[in-house]
Amino acid sequence: MSTVERVRVRMYQVGFGDCFLLSLEYDEPLQDGRAERHVLIDYGSTRSARKDRAKGRMKDVAPLIREHTHGQLDVVVLTHRHKDHLFGFADDAGAATLRILEPKLVLRPWTEDPSLPARADGPASGAGAMVAGPDGIGAASARFARNLSDAQEAAGQLAARPGLHAGLKAAADEQLKNADAIALLDELATQQAGAYLFAGCDAGTANLVPGLEVTVLGPATVEQDARVARQTEEHTEYWMAALRASLHEAAGPATTARAGAESTVPVGPGPVRWLIGRLGEHKTHSVARLVRKLDDALNNTSLILLMEVGGLSMLFPGDAQIEDWQHTLDRIAGDAELKKKLTGIDLYKVGHHGSRNATPRSLHALWADRSDTLPPLTALMSTRPDVHGGSEATAVPRATLVTALKQVATLISTDDLDRGQAFVEIVAETTGGPFRLAP
Amino acid sequence: MPGGVEFTESADTPRSHIALRIIAQDPSVKGDDDKILTATVRIPWSRMEDGPRGARLHVVDFDASTGRYLKHPGLPNDDEFADAEDEELETSHVFHAQQVYAAASRTLSAFESALGRRLAWGFNGHHLYLVPHAFAEANAYYSFEDRALLFGYVPGDDETVTYTCLSYDVVVHETTHALLDGLRRRFLEPGLPDQAAFHEGFADIVALLSVFSMHPVVEQALGKADKNGRIKRRQVERDHLRSGVLTGVAEQLGKVLTQGRGALRRSAMTPPPPDWAELPQYEEPHRRGEVLVAIVLDVLLDIWVKRLEPLLQPDEEARVATLDRARAAEEGARAAAQLLTMMIRGLDYLPPVEFEFGDLLDAVLLADAEVVPDDDLGYRDMLIDRFDKAGVERPRNRVTNVVEAEVAPHYLGFNFAALRSDRDEVFRFLWQNAQRLDVCTKYYTVIESVRPSQRVGPDGLIVPEFVATYVQMLDLSAGELRQMAELATPETLDPATPVQLLGGGTLVFDQFGRLKLHIHKNLDDWRRQLRRLEYLHRTGRYDTDKRLGFSEGAARGQAFAELHNTELGAGEAW
Repeated sequence: MSTVERVRVRMYQVGFGDCFLLSLEYDEPLQDGRAERHVLIDYGSTRSARKDRAKGRMKDVAPLIREHTHGQLDVVVLTHRHKDHLFGFADDAGAATLRILEPKLVLRPWTEDPSLPARADGPASGAGAMVAGPDGIGAASARFARNLSDAQEAAGQLAARPGLHAGLKAAADEQLKNADAIALLDELATQQAGAYLFAGCDAGTANLVPGLEVTVLGPATVEQDARVARQTEEHTEYWMAALRASLHEAAGPATTARAGAESTVPVGPGPVRWLIGRLGEHKTHSVARLVRKLDDALNNTSLILLMEVGGLSMLFPGDAQIEDWQHTLDRIAGDAELKKKLTGIDLYKVGHHGSRNATPRSLHALWADRSDTLPPLTALMSTRPDVHGGSEATAVPRATLVTALKQVATLISTDDLDRGQAFVEIVAETTGGPFRLAP
Repeated sequence: MPGGVEFTESADTPRSHIALRIIAQDPSVKGDDDKILTATVRIPWSRMEDGPRGARLHVVDFDASTGRYLKHPGLPNDDEFADAEDEELETSHVFHAQQVYAAASRTLSAFESALGRRLAWGFNGHHLYLVPHAFAEANAYYSFEDRALLFGYVPGDDETVTYTCLSYDVVVHETTHALLDGLRRRFLEPGLPDQAAFHEGFADIVALLSVFSMHPVVEQALGKADKNGRIKRRQVERDHLRSGVLTGVAEQLGKVLTQGRGALRRSAMTPPPPDWAELPQYEEPHRRGEVLVAIVLDVLLDIWVKRLEPLLQPDEEARVATLDRARAAEEGARAAAQLLTMMIRGLDYLPPVEFEFGDLLDAVLLADAEVVPDDDLGYRDMLIDRFDKAGVERPRNRVTNVVEAEVAPHYLGFNFAALRSDRDEVFRFLWQNAQRLDVCTKYYTVIESVRPSQRVGPDGLIVPEFVATYVQMLDLSAGELRQMAELATPETLDPATPVQLLGGGTLVFDQFGRLKLHIHKNLDDWRRQLRRLEYLHRTGRYDTDKRLGFSEGAARGQAFAELHNTELGAGEAW
């Protein structure tokens, strides 16, 4: 029986975005004659790399993936529906390559399941509201997913509004539904197989990628962890419904007025006009906050995958923010085995390009307390500074996090690559880490 | 009335107060009759213009999301909504204007009567704008630059709209920000974590106590009464008052601001863990502010329980004993009103910079001792006890009792009338007495405020004072600070980093113009300065010029907009 000897991870220079290839190398060929298996985790970019670095366009990255997989891909993971993680599926060259690579399994988070809205007519509260179906997903989750999807649509309308503040338009654009990319993933999943994952479920990779064990840590469904929907007792998905409704209001034509409130008086010169003149800016800020909340919500649908191969383990959390992590962080307290696993990982894909709230401090604390007998941790960060965050506190990557990561891990950032490096490749034997740069 | 004279009051006769009906909590909280719980509050009378617009508050019903502007009539002396049905309260924008106006006015009035003077807002101007339907977002905040409180709303699927302006506590909370900003504007500058927590915690305290000072709320929270209006004794036992009554009310507050504030309030209901000051999640301003809220709510319970004692018959068997619900509620409401006054009174005795929790305890105790020297009900001991249990101590050597000091200040050549109103005269006083007051004049020093206050003590006598604050500033590099302080700065901190240090003090003068108290946070308290620097550096609170301690770098008008976005995982972010 073939066993995995080596694991290779490639992080492609995609500017601002994520694109990782996990490759398993076996000691002898598997049934299909290949002695390797490949898992692509995300395939996106929103902005090419900074000056003096490889550009990182999808048309440059796609051929590399084709070369590195030797023309066959086993599993595609889309952590969540954001352009910087899936643009490659919509890009002409990127899509063509994926069709050629014919992945055998497409994995996505449960919120992407198109069959969910059909079940969204369950009770909104009271008994039955929080009962999960046989697949772990109940009516509350279905409503949550529907509201999320609807909020994305509103963001799309917002982005299309003429005269929108440029920064806001860019932020809204990132929340678009990316229908083309999803269509390709649907097509690939239909031809082969697809699954929508939530915390604790089986990723179904055992036969396709022997030796790889995938633990789905997140996202939890609303039934698994009500905080997903930040619900109140009376109104199970108030938060997401409020966000959706507010975004719709913001995206609607400016003349919309609710019944009973139409009377508008002309505002002559004076203190009222002074204030009204300034309130426009608050509206921009307000809509920007709504868009950012939607952005957070989508990030929090990210698959958090713990991948184990032999003595190696790797953590790929997509753009999961603390809310998505919370379910796992709570488990750590009572689950010594999980705590040990997360403490001892060999590779951490830095969450959300190094933003301030995607690498929980309590997770970092586990690594800070690692025993010296464990091999050193490697952290891969795909990012580009100066794209997100207007202030020091919100900058991506966040300086305090970068400093903290360097204290516990060997940190490799795509922003540190030079013009000749279209990707970075690390490798480790399955007998145990650490990962090292491939020669 | 043939041949007679009409003795009815003319409609425009000024009165001292008007009574207005308001929603006591928010529309989801119902009374015994299953209708929205409302209360009638008295607010100071003012000549009214359209808006409504009174002397200090101006409602501007402009919706930036839809662009519509509604000008409502001024509030009449007789409440139009005294008997209005629920639906009208919920949907009438005229009532919404009344709700925000009344809640903000009641808050301003509570501060003014506690501090014994008119209060200025944080900005340069007399009218605070209240915008009841500012935008479609579950958010509400104070914008200093726009002199406004902005209240958002959440559109619903079926014409049901949730208005943050209808939540009484939200309006009070935001109004408190505007008032605190007027009293201690430096508390918005980058400081130790207690400082950011103070604005949030104190605004929550005022909101909770203010809600709780309304009888109908307390009556409702006490639970159902029998047909004689009596409740069982166990309904006023301490445990039930805490977990049932207070928690019940607190949980109902802030719900419409969906960012988990409702859930976080729950943690304000339980005492913080003993090591809270060491826990990272308590660095988040809301969570940290809840420590203050929890302490004050415990004091509220202490006072209430004490006030209930005379109503209970000691020899009655607890199981069958009952008491009048209205009386029990009245004692609760009174306890809340007294405690609120006590807390607000303390604000004048806070140092002007670098707030820490212990300062609040100190300030409240000092102010209370001036007005209520006897304290026969032992409120001050309760306060000390509760702060102590939460691990907050009274700071040492921060207050100088100048009257008892060995060397008295010089008063020769000072004009009392000028001293109580003129910043330059107070600066002269500080300059002449710098050594006697141990104020180092090496640093840039400015008198920020001189304010008179007149308060009525429980004996009916007036306690007149005036209070001045001064601030000192020093700009230098982290390396220079290390040399001056002869203490280590964080290793990872670049010595070239520009740093701004703050110090200052509060001077309390009596009615003869004599200095009584000097409450100080010395600029050259290097250990405090290094604690602040370490905190600001560790949490990455640099401004856009990579400086520490200068500003928080928030966009115009947005300083408070983001604070209300409490993160679920407080303490997990970088």
